[in-house]
Amino acid sequence: MKIFYKHIVDHINDKPDKRYLSEKLFQLGHEHEIDGEIFDFELTPNRGDCLSTMGLLRDLNLFYEVNSIKPIFSKDIEHFDYKFSNKAQDACPKISFLKIDIETIPDIYNEELESYFLNLNLKKNNFFTDISNYISYETGQPTHCYKAEEVENGLTLDFLDKKQQFKTLFDTKIQIDPGNLVFLNHKNDLVNFAGIVGGKSSACDLDTKTVIVECAYFNPEVILGKATKYSINSDAAHKFERNVDLNSHEYVLRRFLQVVEQHTKILNVQLYSNTYKQSPQTVIDFDLDRIINIIGKNIEEKDCIAYLQRLGFVIKQKLIYVPSYRNDIANINDIAEEIARAIGYDNIEPKKFIIDKPKIKSHDDAVSQKNSIENRFKNLLIDNGFCEVINDPFTFQNIKSSIEVDNPLDSNRKFLRTNLKNSLLDNLLYNERRQQDSIKLFEISDVYSGKSNMSKKLLGIIISGRVDKNYIDFNKKLNKKYLVDILNKFIYRADDLNYEVISRDGINSRTTSTITYVEIELDANTKINYVSNDNENKIFDLNIKYTPISNYPLSVRDLSFSIKDFSKCELLDNYLTSIDNDLLKEVFIFDHYLNEKNNEIKIGYRFVFQSKETTITERDVNKIINPIIEYSKSMSGVTIPGFE
Amino acid sequence: MSPMKGIKLPKINRSIGAIHPINQTKEFIVDFLVEIGFDYIDGPEIETENFNFDMLNIKKSHPARQMHDTFYVNKKENVLRTHTSPVQIRGMLDRKPPLDFISGGKVYRKDDDATHLPMFHQIEGISVNTDINFANLKDLIFRIVHKLFGNKIEIRFRPSYFPFTEPSAEVDILSEDGKWLEILGCGIVNPIVLENCKIDSTKYSGLAFGLGIERIAMLKYGVNDIRDFYKSNLDFLKQFK
Repeated sequence: MKIFYKHIVDHINDKPDKRYLSEKLFQLGHEHEIDGEIFDFELTPNRGDCLSTMGLLRDLNLFYEVNSIKPIFSKDIEHFDYKFSNKAQDACPKISFLKIDIETIPDIYNEELESYFLNLNLKKNNFFTDISNYISYETGQPTHCYKAEEVENGLTLDFLDKKQQFKTLFDTKIQIDPGNLVFLNHKNDLVNFAGIVGGKSSACDLDTKTVIVECAYFNPEVILGKATKYSINSDAAHKFERNVDLNSHEYVLRRFLQVVEQHTKILNVQLYSNTYKQSPQTVIDFDLDRIINIIGKNIEEKDCIAYLQRLGFVIKQKLIYVPSYRNDIANINDIAEEIARAIGYDNIEPKKFIIDKPKIKSHDDAVSQKNSIENRFKNLLIDNGFCEVINDPFTFQNIKSSIEVDNPLDSNRKFLRTNLKNSLLDNLLYNERRQQDSIKLFEISDVYSGKSNMSKKLLGIIISGRVDKNYIDFNKKLNKKYLVDILNKFIYRADDLNYEVISRDGINSRTTSTITYVEIELDANTKINYVSNDNENKIFDLNIKYTPISNYPLSVRDLSFSIKDFSKCELLDNYLTSIDNDLLKEVFIFDHYLNEKNNEIKIGYRFVFQSKETTITERDVNKIINPIIEYSKSMSGVTIPGFE
Repeated sequence: MSPMKGIKLPKINRSIGAIHPINQTKEFIVDFLVEIGFDYIDGPEIETENFNFDMLNIKKSHPARQMHDTFYVNKKENVLRTHTSPVQIRGMLDRKPPLDFISGGKVYRKDDDATHLPMFHQIEGISVNTDINFANLKDLIFRIVHKLFGNKIEIRFRPSYFPFTEPSAEVDILSEDGKWLEILGCGIVNPIVLENCKIDSTKYSGLAFGLGIERIAMLKYGVNDIRDFYKSNLDFLKQFK
């Protein structure tokens, strides 16, 4: 909700500047951003009463001398003998209709009305609709203007009995489902989607001089979610969903009339109003001790009463009478929040919070056991170079016991996964496409299936490519044996697990290395035989600072060094591994060979290049690698075969 | 004696893997809260509407219950929990006050865009005793925020709205570039929720808090795009070893 700063501050005697007003609004809980002179609010859904300048001013009255009294039309208004039938009295316990006939349509608006459109950069429609929009901005109560001739022979409010097409006043056509609350005219034509959007056929136009203004209270439940469902951007629906003031109709309509009268001569005005159900008066015991106990700060009774009175509450004989616009207030905790807002949350001193009780075991045993196994598995895998991944559970795969999502994001995410294999395979292929040649991933997750939502905790492990990036492991391939060797350290009979070699048939990949997958169900019965140094809880410090990664391809260069002066091995290694260049991603020894006969060591270094901004070129690589070659060659006893 | 003897072979660098940064963040916070004295309990990700909404005073009319916000499963019989709060209900029904426990894990909302994912993680906690108040809540929240962001961080409490707490607050921290960043929600447990869990609200009061783990992890590690956590890119994951 956007509010022009001046429209608020004009009613505050102190005229706080924007920064100060903003602070006070935050203290009240009214989150907003400021763009120039406009405050853009994101109010909490319980505060529908603040969706207007008047509503915000009522709250700001806590801190300021607010003068929001505006002139209203004070003459007597004739009764409007309107043929209105309310067949949905629970959904609409109160409704009023005002029929207005004016002499002329004004060419220009007065300063107040003009400022609303100009400063909030809003589009004008027609005289009555413009006033309706302005009144909603000022009072928070939406009204709807019908061209009188379209509805003056009667109107019915009812739930739609069958699907019907409806042309909105925005000129869009929608199909309204049965069960929705609508207004029908005497010919039974659908003229208004109640509380959401009016119809084109009965909308006012630039020539409308006779109007019927509808002012209603709709139960939020009846309006909720409908604007979103039918993709209608409706300020009225937004307000009705958050609840409006059942007792505001007369004031709102008299304000409406006042604005009309400020612009033109009113020839005739009539009012129809019907209350089908009174709103109950909320009354809460004024229990100061409770309020103090909830907040944890001493408060004087007189201050407490003063805060509440400034917010419009009436306190009589230890009872708090809640104003009709505060639909969100129901109990003493709500009252305590009002007091806390008035004091300012930031002005409540913290008081030591202590958990003081005999320390019972922090988990129940089964959970504890399961977590401990989980953590130990994690540590084992991390130590062996595995990375943990987390995937969401949504899949297109449907097995007999899969749980189906009733409202999926799309048809590819219609079911919940019952295993971790496909997620992990996707992760593996994603990394292969990014030229990773040693991939070791695992995931631990609960999966759910069956009618009773059975859950089990699974560990999935997937591998492909090289064992590691060092000269011992570089040419070894990740396979079942590798996994068995690791898992054997930890669980009994690891070779009995179901290892699966995933076929690459039907997988679009250039890589050919074997993909091996294994899945283990973790429960309290998982037999483990690995009691390492029992370092089962890794200590995290969250102090790592992430560097954005590159999405551009790698370029790889291998250099094979031949070294006869063995003392140079370390020097060379120190040099090569300390080269600092943004484009050089990693350097490692992938091969190492001792030739005793020739008294020579051969070391193969791999240089991996990658740019964060672009695809790296041969030239870029040469610019970096050539000086490296030259420098290395200058060391006596070091040669690079092929580069002599 | 062979001239080869005594040659130092190059070091064999074995790659170390990494726990997922979201789980690292979660464990970090859990460890801290357990140290304060909270128990840790788990709860299911598939919940009843009753536990996920009604018991928490989230009425049928609340926007969160719409089909466009919540994933429904099993022909609308269940929901994927939209927050970890139903675990609080389960915990309160299972125990007698005084009680203090936390829970954490995956939660689901029907969202998928640059800043919202259909699955994310929360941690939340509750403490119910005879004299828990908002000032106690502030103390606890200060300790959590200080643990995460250091003792010098500027903290702002502002009124907010959650159906299951009253008063409710959102907590912001002041970033280096002078912007307030929302990091968690908390409040005094709504007496309606205590009564729903058969706890005498005239005798007991409670505090509750919840935080989004992704949000904290993004701030701590300097990750700007929430989606990076779930691409499973090794270049990303390996930075967290």
